[in-house]
Amino acid sequence: MAEIVSVIALAHAPGATGWLDKAPPSQQNELRAGYARMAERFRAARPEIIVGIANDHLLNFRLDNIPDWCVGTAEHWHGPADWFRDWVNLPEYDVPGHRELARRIVRQSALKGFNLAFSDALEFDDNWSVPLHFLTPRHNVPLVPIHMNCVVPPLPAPRRCIEFGRVLSEVIRAWPSSTRVAIMATGGLSHDPGGPKYFAVDEEFDRWFLDLLARGDTERVLRDVTIERMIAAGDGGTVELLAWLVALGAAGGKAADPIFYVPSVELRCGMGGVDWNVAA
Amino acid sequence: MGIMQTDKTLPCNRLIFEVRRDAGLRARFLSDLDGLMTDYGLSDEERRALRNADLKRLGELGVHPYFLPQVARLFRSAKYNHNESDAAQLYASKMLNPTGSDANG
Repeated sequence: MAEIVSVIALAHAPGATGWLDKAPPSQQNELRAGYARMAERFRAARPEIIVGIANDHLLNFRLDNIPDWCVGTAEHWHGPADWFRDWVNLPEYDVPGHRELARRIVRQSALKGFNLAFSDALEFDDNWSVPLHFLTPRHNVPLVPIHMNCVVPPLPAPRRCIEFGRVLSEVIRAWPSSTRVAIMATGGLSHDPGGPKYFAVDEEFDRWFLDLLARGDTERVLRDVTIERMIAAGDGGTVELLAWLVALGAAGGKAADPIFYVPSVELRCGMGGVDWNVAA
Repeated sequence: MGIMQTDKTLPCNRLIFEVRRDAGLRARFLSDLDGLMTDYGLSDEERRALRNADLKRLGELGVHPYFLPQVARLFRSAKYNHNESDAAQLYASKMLNPTGSDANG
């Protein structure tokens, strides 16, 4: 059976590759070191496939038909989408997909109460381009991208996100294969694209949220990390942390190791990452 | 304003969604915005707000928050989008320090 060797979550804000030079040097160093520590742990787990979960920034989900989750089933992916290339300041890249696992996730999740959409034609923006740049810069680890709705109501509730993560991990572990699989959630932390706090970061919220994950208390997360609380910390952006809750569910509610946190007004985002250290 | 107040059915949301995905539509956004807005069936109010990059008004009308900084980037370029960039400054001036809606057009 397949093995889940890593469950991580990390920020994907475009400024990390697009205009990092505008941040103070100390912040640049902290951020580079933080992503490097994430990459080091990730490589040490030797994943052979990444199952990613990230907000769809309304690049693929048309407003007339928005699923909670959509699994990318293509054998090959290409990014970044053309209009976003300048923005993320990254060259075009190809990354393999994994149709067999992707289709299995769709089929098996359906039997466990999750009606997942699927697509061979997802476009990528910062959601995958930025984290892959730092974790697998050669783009040589196949990716099953799962886009999710974090930004158009009704949103999947936190409890539903954690439950999906649990189901996702069950489905992966039941795959008759000896493959080593990593689960990578991307998004967050506090930011407010399109709102009044566009040029601000809610450091207090971010540190509170990271501390909750470090405690490994899923019931408290469910009680306190409400959609309303996330919206209060940055309307359209902070709710991307719903993807992190999927990862929390996949990690079985284990306590996470906070790896880095940099509140960056220059990048207009609370930047951070955690590792659930599932192999330990 | 905000994600909870988004009007999914607003024609302006469909226009911006599609423009970001299509280089031809992006060229037209800059060269023939009025024609494009007619094709997508925007109301007079949506047309006035989009033409003037009145981001605050667009948000009030139900345009999704994500599309507001993106409208600024469509008008002023997405490249090197730091806080002092033209696009970020356009966002700041229209969203945070609006000096009264432009009633023209």
